[in-house]
Amino acid sequence: MDTTAPVAAALLPAVARGNVSAFEELYDRYASTVYGLLLRILSNADDAQEVLQETFVKAWTSAKMFDSVRGSEVAWLISIARSRGIDRLRSRKVRLEREDEAGREISFLDHSTGADTAIQSEERSAVRRALAELPEAQRVALELAYFEGLSQLEIAARLNEPLGTIKTRMQLGMKKLRERLQAFQ
Amino acid sequence: MTHEEFESIAALDALGVASGGDVAALRLHLAGCHPCRVARRELGQATSMFAIALAPIPPPAYLRAAVMAEISPESRTNRWWLATAATLFLALWGWRELDVRAGRAEIVRLQQQNSRLSAEIAALASADTRTITLSGQEIAPSASAKVFLQPDRRRALVFFHDLPANPGDTSYQLWIIRAGQPKPASAGIFDVTASGKASIVIENLPVETEIEALAVTLEPRGGVVQPTNTRFYVAGDAGL
Repeated sequence: MDTTAPVAAALLPAVARGNVSAFEELYDRYASTVYGLLLRILSNADDAQEVLQETFVKAWTSAKMFDSVRGSEVAWLISIARSRGIDRLRSRKVRLEREDEAGREISFLDHSTGADTAIQSEERSAVRRALAELPEAQRVALELAYFEGLSQLEIAARLNEPLGTIKTRMQLGMKKLRERLQAFQ
Repeated sequence: MTHEEFESIAALDALGVASGGDVAALRLHLAGCHPCRVARRELGQATSMFAIALAPIPPPAYLRAAVMAEISPESRTNRWWLATAATLFLALWGWRELDVRAGRAEIVRLQQQNSRLSAEIAALASADTRTITLSGQEIAPSASAKVFLQPDRRRALVFFHDLPANPGDTSYQLWIIRAGQPKPASAGIFDVTASGKASIVIENLPVETEIEALAVTLEPRGGVVQPTNTRFYVAGDAGL
């Protein structure tokens, strides 16, 4: 998926060699995207900032593990941030606090952007359009897994739907997402 | 399991909600199946769309400085001194606890032990040490394991908890599933007594290729070259 800016040459190989300038550029390029994700997952600025710091330090120490054949630079960084964000969410029992908000609508499609740098706003808009094309029930199930780390069983309980229904929705949703991704390529 | 079923697991894995056993089986399959590897990569890319679609929000400026300070050589030097100081403290503390009237041989033995433990503590506390949790699977749901992986030393310490005691004619065997390797590699065998606890040290860890998952099976006494079954007791994704 070419959702990175056209100028976004791969930085991680240089970071893996200990190039601090490349690491600074990596931070400048993606910190806003990562921070936006962590705020969405954690709903808490202090936690998000701590995890953002952990994420980039991890990127520095593990850059040699990055394999461009297995995915893009931004996807790799996002996967680290998302994984650590979900770990933090679970460990601090933030989920319990969020139960009160269980009925709230999950929506990120209408947020205005203020810091589109690495990921161009038109590309971001294209991704949003692609996500908006997913049936809402599928999108909601996938978002609960992605942003809250809920298992299929937990999603079924949260949405008061049979487990089989949730499994089907998630499978279909992921299939469609993959097709959308292929359309970008 | 069919390719379609593996793709279903890959979709859940990309969302981070697949079970440890499924992830281990998937990693094993991916090592030898190119189409499924492509599918897993694309599914991983697809999930990142959720993050990319969010409004980017600039973090506070001081965070950038904090991150840069964290990775600076000076900071790492400080951390080295802290580790050294902690090790020294432990060594001195251990020395003080020794009975000075004990024989010289005993003192030497305890010093060596203390030094080794201090080194282990320092290694475990190192910023480069990765921690991986293996969770109990269907046949041993309460079991778990903690892996402390030290890639730079090609070594790992693994602590198992609440595993059922293995019958005398069997051994538990730990397997490492690596990227691009169709067959898992044995990382060692171990026994578990009624306490449910065990630990092993893995030396000469194969770090040339990325470790994707770890899993434990019960095998004939003494271990086998390749796993004879996929009934995992504990398993977990070693990914980031």
